[in-house]
Amino acid sequence: MAKQYAFYFDANSCIDCKACQVACQDKNDLPGGVIWRKVIEYGGGDWVMQDNVMVPNGIFTYALSTSCMHCQDPICVHVCPSGAMTKREDGIVLVDEDLCLGCRYCEWACPYGAPAYRPELGVMSKCTFCEDLLAAGENPACVDACVTRALDYGELSELQAKYGDLAEMAPLPDAKLTSPSFVLTSYRASQATGSRVGKIIDLAEEF
Amino acid sequence: MEEHSKLENVGRDDEINRRSFLKWSAAVGGTAAIASQLSFGFVPANTNRAAEPGKWVFSACWHNCGGRCANYAQVQDGVVVRQKTDDTHPDSPDYPQQRGCARGRSQRHQVLGVDRLKYPMKRAHWAPGGGDKELRGVDDWVRISWDEALDIIASETRRIIDTYGNKAILTPRLSPSRILNALGGAMQSWGVSSAGAWPQPSALMAGNLNLSAPDRMTYRKANLIVLWGSDPAWSSAGDPTYNYQQARNAGAKFVFVGPLHSNSVQTLADEWIPVRPGTDAALLLGMAYHMIDNDLQDQDFLDTYTLGFDADHMLEGTDPEENLKDYVLGTYDGVPKTPEWASEICGTHPRTIRQFAEEIARTRPTIFIGGAAPARTQNGQQFVQAFLTVGWMTGNVGFDGAAVCNNYHSSASYGGPSLVKPGGSGLESLGNPLFPRGGSGYAFAYPEDTDFYAVAYEEMWDAILNKEFTATVRGKQPCDIRMIWTVTHGSGGNALNQVAGIMKGIEAYRSVEFVVSSDIVLSTRSKYADVVLPDTTPWEDEAGGFLTGNPEVLFFYSQVISPLYEAKDCGYWFERELARRMGLDPDAIYSSTPQQQTFNQLAGASVIKEDGSGYEPLLTITADDIAAMGVEGKPQGGRISLSEFKEKGVYQVERKPGDSFIHTPGVAFRQDPEANPLSTASGKLEIHCQALSDKIAAYGFNTIPPIAQYNPPIEGYQATFEDWDNKVKGEYPFQLVTLHYMRRSHSVFDNITQLRKAFPEGVWMNPADAEPLGISHGDTVQVSSQHGTVIRPVIVTTRTTPGVVILGEGAWFEYDENLGADKAGATNTLCGTHPTGQGEEPWNTTIVRVDTWDGPALEADYTWPQRVPIKE
Repeated sequence: MAKQYAFYFDANSCIDCKACQVACQDKNDLPGGVIWRKVIEYGGGDWVMQDNVMVPNGIFTYALSTSCMHCQDPICVHVCPSGAMTKREDGIVLVDEDLCLGCRYCEWACPYGAPAYRPELGVMSKCTFCEDLLAAGENPACVDACVTRALDYGELSELQAKYGDLAEMAPLPDAKLTSPSFVLTSYRASQATGSRVGKIIDLAEEF
Repeated sequence: MEEHSKLENVGRDDEINRRSFLKWSAAVGGTAAIASQLSFGFVPANTNRAAEPGKWVFSACWHNCGGRCANYAQVQDGVVVRQKTDDTHPDSPDYPQQRGCARGRSQRHQVLGVDRLKYPMKRAHWAPGGGDKELRGVDDWVRISWDEALDIIASETRRIIDTYGNKAILTPRLSPSRILNALGGAMQSWGVSSAGAWPQPSALMAGNLNLSAPDRMTYRKANLIVLWGSDPAWSSAGDPTYNYQQARNAGAKFVFVGPLHSNSVQTLADEWIPVRPGTDAALLLGMAYHMIDNDLQDQDFLDTYTLGFDADHMLEGTDPEENLKDYVLGTYDGVPKTPEWASEICGTHPRTIRQFAEEIARTRPTIFIGGAAPARTQNGQQFVQAFLTVGWMTGNVGFDGAAVCNNYHSSASYGGPSLVKPGGSGLESLGNPLFPRGGSGYAFAYPEDTDFYAVAYEEMWDAILNKEFTATVRGKQPCDIRMIWTVTHGSGGNALNQVAGIMKGIEAYRSVEFVVSSDIVLSTRSKYADVVLPDTTPWEDEAGGFLTGNPEVLFFYSQVISPLYEAKDCGYWFERELARRMGLDPDAIYSSTPQQQTFNQLAGASVIKEDGSGYEPLLTITADDIAAMGVEGKPQGGRISLSEFKEKGVYQVERKPGDSFIHTPGVAFRQDPEANPLSTASGKLEIHCQALSDKIAAYGFNTIPPIAQYNPPIEGYQATFEDWDNKVKGEYPFQLVTLHYMRRSHSVFDNITQLRKAFPEGVWMNPADAEPLGISHGDTVQVSSQHGTVIRPVIVTTRTTPGVVILGEGAWFEYDENLGADKAGATNTLCGTHPTGQGEEPWNTTIVRVDTWDGPALEADYTWPQRVPIKE
């Protein structure tokens, strides 16, 4: 059994197509407005006048597909008042919708915005790492969906051996907060966590 | 305003901090708008033919999306519970799975949504002759029986044909139904949409190198790949971007040219060169100047393989002063097309123009790909002429890893012939007597004909309102259109939404006597109709069918569920029923069943032999197979069994580097141009092409020179100024680019909540344009043109070129009488009709203004209710 399931993301490949986001919604039969995986478009740079011509200066964009990080130090589990939020032996963090009170404290606490409130049910919901598919020997829906093969998954230590141990880039928060079970390959223009060079290009309603 | 400040906060914080997320969730997730896409308790009418519970069925994904991928539906108790994409073989760059996109993965919501049309309907205030025609689009709907619907259609069609003739029936952007052709035909439409101004220049200048690109593996051999006005990441979903990434990984440098730092740019580009819409020809001519000035062109190639580059290499009988080189140098017009000259028009810095010209001149092999977007401009021919000319000046034709081509839609990154294909259906053709050589009307190539009666896409609404149309060489001819027919089996054909000039189109719709439409949901073409018929989707087609896309793969879809409620096949079934009522023999309309047609296609399906030397049958078909399908046919041997093919739904030719399926366009021509002439007038590549100039003149809208020039387009960059010389902006200071947007396949899928959530249809604007207007990221703004007004949220980003505003095309027009605007952001509210060239649709030359909006902020699109016309 895995000790810590983790996702891998290649920022050089992602095209913000949201096949992963929608595949997850489909597999989990989520309402259209509830997402467990999101894709964020981040970018920056500016235009400067040179010889009376506006020229692009360091324009960059990149996308980031992110879901629950199944953190090694999951703050959602620590703050949950009912014990609904738990972490399994294989590292997957799950919310038990029957125990959940819908207080949304986990949503407040999570630095990745992973827990998703279900207004029609009055409880929280979140990425399950497709643990039912894993048990059947299949891959998470998002990983199989990615049209540019930007997503992978596996045992965290194996992903780190293969891809390195980078687990943060702007706009993600500092990995030291909750030790996300996550590895990413940065893009040439990836901005470090904490950088103020760029900003999120999406509209808030997408998240 | 509260929304605005939250977004500002997010914009400034580079992290998704806890507070921002909570605020977003509260604003967005907590509202009432849990849209209605929750339930699949939607029970189909007849589950007898549904697949076994829990079974995966290869399900159609049939859209004009720029891709074609594998989609499977899992069916339990007659209900689709889940989808998946291709997993028929392990995935690798050489043998990639055909993975679907967000749209295809939302297919079950389209088929099984609460907004699916269930019953035939008529407008509450309809009567023969139209009734209260002003209520088209805003009337209530009344459920009617199929009998009543068929009787109405038969009677109105008969009355209109008898009173006004077949020419009074318009089938906008659709081939007429076969029954209309059997009744004497209809007024069809013609023109070019996706491909813009490419077809005629490519055919007449390049002959059988028309639109030709190398095969997928060969892209990895290029040292430089230029994508000009092309965004495969969002316009060619499926594998193309993944394929291009393999070329990137193999060391190819990518340069993208266009107004937007797109998602294709972000994943592939080493360099992005901005250019204003509709000015690409100027940029290319500036590059040509630099090449000529520094003798960088491949003169041997030009001398041997082309005509028209300079005065010494002109086709006999043409004026030697009309050569390209002297135009670029300004020999006769006194205007040298220097990079400085170009820069004033196109906005690209002269230094960049020179560097780029050097790069393409000195790098081999280069694949020089011209997209369709720059050709979807008024005077779009000039882009294609200039693009092909400059490409040929580099000599990148006819050897390994090189090409000058247009490579887009589902063939992006995949040149060469189809390696696997279906057979013919065997259904005999039943053409439109009023348009004998028209085919579907798309890229109509015979403007010299004088025996047809059909109207250009861009002229349809004017033809209805003004009772005349341009009949190519015959000039303006009268017409009297009394009926609009958009009945067909299948999606799309949403002309009222997808052709420019929606406001005018609605006026036209409200002026005719009868409008009949079929649909699966109430899209724009049906919303403004009198009678609407519920069509089945390919998921409900009993016979199944074929889908094609890139050259390496063939798909076969099977029935997933039984037809829902009273939906019927609005081709085969409807037309035969209508025939009965109109005194025609149904078998004269369709002489063979869908099952027989599908069988014929299966039997005739062929696949390339392993050694590439020809084709062989794909399928082994037994006598039992034939009996089970209830068709006529003969057993045959092939590569795989019919049952295996139907179950998998995909046959993909496995490729390896160095296999027999390499395709390099132009090799024979390059090796011996005398022995292997092209199909152009001269046999060579025609930089000077009189045939093209004559052909465009024949269409009757405008004229173009036989060489590439830059002439300012209508509603182009120059039109944003009231005083060009002093650069004083006019009333419409910005240029609009209409984007292929991943929420939809053109207008299809716009009604799907999860896609609206993923893609909010914001209008993208550079801060250099937004800030002086007091506009901030997330504000609701008003975008207007000479033709209409839309309201949208704005995304302020430096990824778009200053002066250029970008909006996804295809949103379902949603007019709000109180606001006096379309609040969905249909780009054709903003784009005007400009009949031009070979009938292309010049959406990317549209000038607009953007203003702050004082009215109520829009609710997020994904919270909007579905269109459910008959409430139960």
